[in-house]
Amino acid sequence: MDISLIVQALVSGVLAAGLYALVSVGLALAIGVIGIVNFAHGEFLMVGAFLTFQLSVSFGLDPALSLLLVAPLLFLLGAVIYRATIQYVLKAPELNQMLLTFGLAIILQNLALLIWGGDPRSIGDVPYRALGFQVAGISFGAVPLASFLVSALLVGGLYYVLIKTPIGKAMRAVAQNRTGAALVGLEVNRIYLIAFALSAALAGLGGVMIAVIQSPTPVVGFAFTLKAFAIVVLAGLGNIRGVLWASLIVAVAESLVATLLPNGDTLRNAVFFAIIFVVLIANSRRPA
Amino acid sequence: MKTLLALVTSLLVTFVFAQPVQIGVLSPLTGGAAGTGLAQQAGFELALQEINAAGGVLGEPLEIIIEDTQAAAPVALAAFEKLMTEDGVEFIAGGYSSGVTLALVESFRTFQPVVTWIGGAVSGVGIDGFDGIEELLGEEDWFFHIHPWDYHNVEAATAFVVSTGVDSVALLHEDSAFGGPGAAGAEALIEAEGIEVTIREAFTSTLFGGTGDFRATISKAAATDADMVYWIGYDSDVVPMISQIRERGYTPQYIFGTPPGWPSEFADAREAECVTGLIGFLPNLPTTEAQAFTEAYRDLHGNEPDNYMAALAYAQLWAYADAINAAGTTEQSAVIEALEAGTFRSPMGEWAFTSSELTDHQGFGADLWLVFQYQDGVREIVWPLERATAPLQSCR
Repeated sequence: MDISLIVQALVSGVLAAGLYALVSVGLALAIGVIGIVNFAHGEFLMVGAFLTFQLSVSFGLDPALSLLLVAPLLFLLGAVIYRATIQYVLKAPELNQMLLTFGLAIILQNLALLIWGGDPRSIGDVPYRALGFQVAGISFGAVPLASFLVSALLVGGLYYVLIKTPIGKAMRAVAQNRTGAALVGLEVNRIYLIAFALSAALAGLGGVMIAVIQSPTPVVGFAFTLKAFAIVVLAGLGNIRGVLWASLIVAVAESLVATLLPNGDTLRNAVFFAIIFVVLIANSRRPA
Repeated sequence: MKTLLALVTSLLVTFVFAQPVQIGVLSPLTGGAAGTGLAQQAGFELALQEINAAGGVLGEPLEIIIEDTQAAAPVALAAFEKLMTEDGVEFIAGGYSSGVTLALVESFRTFQPVVTWIGGAVSGVGIDGFDGIEELLGEEDWFFHIHPWDYHNVEAATAFVVSTGVDSVALLHEDSAFGGPGAAGAEALIEAEGIEVTIREAFTSTLFGGTGDFRATISKAAATDADMVYWIGYDSDVVPMISQIRERGYTPQYIFGTPPGWPSEFADAREAECVTGLIGFLPNLPTTEAQAFTEAYRDLHGNEPDNYMAALAYAQLWAYADAINAAGTTEQSAVIEALEAGTFRSPMGEWAFTSSELTDHQGFGADLWLVFQYQDGVREIVWPLERATAPLQSCR
């Protein structure tokens, strides 16, 4: 095996980790702050991808600029969905919550099917989509690199907000003890709404990147929901900081397996399922 | 009493024969393959409009009942059984996905309606330890397969590969029942022509849960520096596959793909230039039938028939209408005879059921296929030469 292939696999894995982190951190936020497992998380990504596509087709807006519109639109969509549905099941059994978000996923998929159809749609010409540069035989794609940097900035920004700002501290307080937070005067429901909307906005931003590098379809979010679950489980449910490391581990492991083994790309999903199994078994054997 | 009995019988016969003929259709209208299913639906709608404008079937308007399979075996099974038991149809059309078709085999055998099928290319021919669709259903007199078999696809693709004069090919394929057997057949035929297959590597299609990151697979192909990248995947793999080959800085002479369809907006992408693809129908096919179909399709739907499944669906429904009208009855054996004997219309020209490896009920073969190349944003037909609209260009 050529050593440059291994280095290429490491580079590709690290760059892919950016997108994984961006999608997963939103899911971790929903689980950590609100305590809800959102099966519709990947559908927010899908809506973000289609909005980017539509903004490009209808107004000629460059996907890089559409980040500025898609984020607030997805924030708004997340807030509306929270108000219309999620807030009513917060005290319901977990199974009911999961069924609700699963239903939301199906509704969003079918709405997308009605609006954009089932054909894979792609933004006609994106000048930088196929752009790459080579350093010592190693390829760096412009889009994966930019997506990594944007994701790092956004995830870092989110971490700063959670640690340093009043709203971030309020989110952490609510996550630790809902009743206690309410007793000291925090508006728990409002904080939940902001956390859920932020989670949707982050997934939507991931969707912008997907719109550039892929052809959005109504089911494009499913694969990323699975990845995000694996990463969140590896990081520890709700652990925002751990998401960064977990994303890196999952993405690099996938890239190495895909490169080093024959037909390795077909084993990518096996990698993250193996990670989930190992983590769950290890956690269950840990002394209480 | 006899007069009364004759009158009642006559009324009953009139009632029975006055029922419109219904054809049950199985297509993936939602889910990852919805693009293809909706293209089929568009083709059926155009054919239905024309058939009924021309007098319908047996003097009554033809009806179709479309059931969504979602390209998923359990959904397709339920949809087929609903058509059989609740709707009571005697004729089945549509079809997509070899996996779904294989899952339907036993149910088809249980009910044995007349089935004409425009999906499911996996024949099983030449693959040890695997029973394909042609092997399982090829001898059933009620089963008619319209789409070319996998070996037809490979035969056409290989003929194109040979015509380019390349010395080496990197073969990348998705790993389902569509890409796996197709790649195995392609590798054997290409090597038999004296062309080196430098690598045969599988990937997970975005249609089946892949994230569209094909960089590892492409890196391995690029390391072999093959003259041609020949990839077998789905419509949603087109953009990531082509853009990541370009991003990698890999410039083979030809990039050749065989997905069932291509995203319509991809023609405008700069990385599309010079990419070639196998397709069953293109609106710019220079024949009278193709132009008439394209114009009628555009009038009805307001867009171009980009996906060749629209043309196949159109041909399929017209074949049923013409065969039932020729038989003069919906009685199964008569319709089967009419399907066997008939010559039917299609946007690709006249066609009939003929022999393939294991069946006498095969519609189109390798000659269905065209190869196009994106040239200045247009899909020019470059192969076969007798139907070409522009010469093939090398990309290196």
